[in-house]
Amino acid sequence: MSFLFGSSAEIDIVLDGQASRKQAEIKTEDGKKEKLFLYYDGETVTGKVNITLKGKKLEHQGIKIEFIGQIELYYDRGNHHEFTSLVKELARPGELTQSTTFDFEFIQVEKPYESYTGANVRLRYFLRVTIAKRLTDVTREMDIIVHTLSQYPEMNNSIKMEVGIEDCLHIEFEYNKSKYHLKDVIVGKIYFLLVRIKIKHMELAIIKRETTGSGPNTFNENETIAKYEIMDGAPVRGESIPIRLFLAGYDLTPTMRDINKKFSVRYYLNLVLVDEEERRYFKQQEITLWRKPDKGATKKPGYVSFTPHSQQVES
Amino acid sequence: MPQTHQLSPQEEQEKLLDEAMQVVKVQSFQMKRCLDKAKLMDGLKHASNMLSELRTSLLSPKSYYELYMAICDELRHLEQYLHDEFQKGHKVADLYELVQYAGNIIPRLYLLVTVGVVYIKTHEANRKDIIKDLVEMCRGVQHPLRGLFLRNYLLQCTRNILPDCEESEEFGGTIKDSIDFILLNFSEMNKLWVRMQHQGHTRDREKREKERMELRILVGTNLVRLSQLDSMTQDFYKKNVLPGVLEQVVSCRDYIAQEYLMECIIQVFPDEFHLQTLNNFLRACAELHKQVNVKNIIIALIDRLAMFAHRDDGTGIPNDIKLFDIFSQQVATVIQAREDMPTEDIVSLQVSLINLALKCYPDRVDYVDKVLETTVDIFNRLNLQRLESSSAVNKELARLLKIPVDVYNNLLTVLQLDHFSPLFEYFDFESRKSMTAYVINNALDNNMYIPTQKQVDSILTLVSPLIQDQNDQPQEEEDPEDFAEEQTMMGRFINLLFTDDPDQQYLILTSARNHFGNGGNRRIKYTLPPLVFNAFKLAYRFKEVAEEDDKWDKKCQKIFRFCHQTIGALIKAEYAELSLRLFLQGGLAAGEIGFENHETVAYEFMSQAFSLYEDEISDSKAQLAAITLIIATFERMSCFGEENHEPLRTQCALAASKLLKKPDQCRGVSVCSHLFWSGKTIESDGKEIRDGKRVMECLKKSLRIANQCMDNSVQVQLFVEILNRYIYFYERGNEQVTIQVLNQLIEKIRDDLPNLEGNEETEQINKHFQNTLEHLRMKQESPEPDGPTYEGLVI
Repeated sequence: MSFLFGSSAEIDIVLDGQASRKQAEIKTEDGKKEKLFLYYDGETVTGKVNITLKGKKLEHQGIKIEFIGQIELYYDRGNHHEFTSLVKELARPGELTQSTTFDFEFIQVEKPYESYTGANVRLRYFLRVTIAKRLTDVTREMDIIVHTLSQYPEMNNSIKMEVGIEDCLHIEFEYNKSKYHLKDVIVGKIYFLLVRIKIKHMELAIIKRETTGSGPNTFNENETIAKYEIMDGAPVRGESIPIRLFLAGYDLTPTMRDINKKFSVRYYLNLVLVDEEERRYFKQQEITLWRKPDKGATKKPGYVSFTPHSQQVES
Repeated sequence: MPQTHQLSPQEEQEKLLDEAMQVVKVQSFQMKRCLDKAKLMDGLKHASNMLSELRTSLLSPKSYYELYMAICDELRHLEQYLHDEFQKGHKVADLYELVQYAGNIIPRLYLLVTVGVVYIKTHEANRKDIIKDLVEMCRGVQHPLRGLFLRNYLLQCTRNILPDCEESEEFGGTIKDSIDFILLNFSEMNKLWVRMQHQGHTRDREKREKERMELRILVGTNLVRLSQLDSMTQDFYKKNVLPGVLEQVVSCRDYIAQEYLMECIIQVFPDEFHLQTLNNFLRACAELHKQVNVKNIIIALIDRLAMFAHRDDGTGIPNDIKLFDIFSQQVATVIQAREDMPTEDIVSLQVSLINLALKCYPDRVDYVDKVLETTVDIFNRLNLQRLESSSAVNKELARLLKIPVDVYNNLLTVLQLDHFSPLFEYFDFESRKSMTAYVINNALDNNMYIPTQKQVDSILTLVSPLIQDQNDQPQEEEDPEDFAEEQTMMGRFINLLFTDDPDQQYLILTSARNHFGNGGNRRIKYTLPPLVFNAFKLAYRFKEVAEEDDKWDKKCQKIFRFCHQTIGALIKAEYAELSLRLFLQGGLAAGEIGFENHETVAYEFMSQAFSLYEDEISDSKAQLAAITLIIATFERMSCFGEENHEPLRTQCALAASKLLKKPDQCRGVSVCSHLFWSGKTIESDGKEIRDGKRVMECLKKSLRIANQCMDNSVQVQLFVEILNRYIYFYERGNEQVTIQVLNQLIEKIRDDLPNLEGNEETEQINKHFQNTLEHLRMKQESPEPDGPTYEGLVI
């Protein structure tokens, strides 16, 4: 077709320092995983655009590169909400007579949100090179991944709560924090203050809730990310059961609240007790997940333990 | 029609176990294959699959145990593999964290333990923190059976790698960490074990208790492990171990657990430790569940310590430990704390205490008495009445009282126990008697002399059921043979009432006389004769010390008065023959001892014998026997002057000739002949009187009487007997007896013998005669040099 629409060209985007840049995985819409280059908020994005001519020359109405951050709601495919859109002109309208390389540079780009692929929503960042032509533009997109990093939260109280069903079951649970980073470990304890039901086992689940839309058109999508048995058998009054759940092994993202007024991703710890008749008693608590900068390995050992601030309930 | 086969519970179990074992086989095979190919993560996945079989709730403890053992075997491969890899430097980062991603808790914790152990063995991480973490994480398994086995796995795996030193090497931890670790594991396991009791239907209780008994060793292993720590000291044990163990045992309030664990503590820890912690241990005993058999626990401890005190290599009980006082006090507390303790158990405890006292403090009689005193006090408090001989309390009490008897083997020591005899009051008649017999038999077996009047008095008071009738004695007569045996035993016992001091001996005899005198007619027959004999013996002893004791004459007279009076008691009870014999014996003794006034005494005794003969003995056979005895005794005596001798011997001859039956007369008179030959008087100066004429008269008279016999057979027999006497006197040199007399009698017998009927009796008479002739023939052929001649004798 090139002879009809004028000779075409291949566009190739090469990021600076590609060889040493970290990559990260993200799900694509069809559920597969792909590895993309990883950027952080405020980081400059620089690179080169190689345009390889397929013919002798290429007439164009201008060449530009854009840096776009957008939210796609699956039920509203037509509308993409761009929250970031930066443009750099690479060439004024004219003619390329040979394959050319353009440098580009988006200095200290604001990347306020984390890349995300969910059940109903996707948040992506990509570079788009457009060679404007009279009939059809030639474009080339390249997705990158953005991780939003947080500092240690200043306030990070433990979650402690007494719950129960009157005269039936009374427990007190305690998670050591309310905010966990993605490689963190949840440590906690469950105290049984009163047990009159025949408990079979107890598990801790991590539930991800993705909320899209607003008002009456709010969609909630719950997904159980982890199901973790923490107790086998029936405890008696006075028992305290330890909890230790490593998060690194699960597919988690930071908590996202009201991202660009379009969606939220929240995480909950769901404590579930199952009795012998398979009845389930549960209590959900929201936890905040955040991404911690990778700074070498200052990992805690696998046997990190929890020092409860209160002693076991006297029997 | 297809039949549906209903599986029995046992078949069901086998089937379930079989299925589980199949899975284990397949998964472990896969696991090993993956490990061989260095695919660790896949290997762990199969290990986890295999371990998931342990999540079952369907297996009985026994089947679960089999499954557990099979899986443990396979886990050892995994551990070995990881260990080898770590040693080679192929460390898998975060393995400890990695295995914690397993979603199910049972496989997760088994893997965690396995990896944790590898970490410790390869010094990958802080041993102290790991064991602490493992034992804490195991709390997640609250199911009793599964939890018990998981924790058992933990205990088994950490067996040889627990910190066991007092000073920490780097971060390895010290014995204190090991103690905390095991104690926590122990408490948790015990709680799980106790919890089994309360799960499920009440009707399955028995089955459940059986299952619990099968599992108890799992809990007990914790204590074994504690005891195996090399650097465990008494101090650690006292301060860090025992309080924790006891706290758990007491607070679990489960009698099965309490009974087992207390026993366990006693068995697994060394005696030296127990000695240091007696108060703590015993105090805990008082707090145990009321169904717990505390008695057995305390007894087990006492027995162990008693054995320890006796061990050859041991240093014995340290002086600073007042073992007996502690036990005594704590046992009292236990008894007080447990109001519903059966009395027999209380007594059993006293039994142990007494054993303890005897084994550890053999010379502390006061300890033994203290136990008895406590027992008396308890009985008083309980207001106990007579204990039935079949009752358990009675049996225990008997056991209690037999111990000092058996151990001391010394009745005198037993007598030092002030509270020994008061306890006899609680026995019913039957057991009181058998107990007293036991005491007496012990004295007899050990030939135990009782040397003072006071002691004699207390013993005889103690054993009064054997001496006199009791208020609570049953109406019916007892078995005569048993009675005879019992009283014969008392007769033997009287011989043990002995001291070297004659004066004291006299007091002993009078005291014994007072006791036995109350025995009633049936008993005195057995008991007074030995007393009389002992009195005679005592008189001989006084004679021996005559030179040192100038009052010996008086004392001997007193003794004979005592005897006279004692024999009198027997006469009153109508034991005429017995009394007669005692009088004769007394006469003989008096004659031999020769104290002042002895002739009068001897005469009195002889005359008493005569009057008994005359008044009381009526049976002709008995009469003959009695008169023979009197004559024989009299023949032996040499204390009489002619004045007394004459009437006595005349009386003998008269009595003999007055016997009813002719053969008796004949024999009696012929026996009398000896009085005139070998009898002695003061005038004959102790020599035989040898009145040949009177001898001959006697023999002639007896021959005459024999002639009057109607029965030929008896007559010939008498002739032979008389012939023998003739020969005797002939040989003794009585000149009145001549060859002619002998020839006459021999001929007479020869004539009469063939006329007798041929029977056994005749045969015997003939034999007697032939033997007599044979004797004469021998004498004739080879006469003794100073003997008489047999010339002219016709044989």
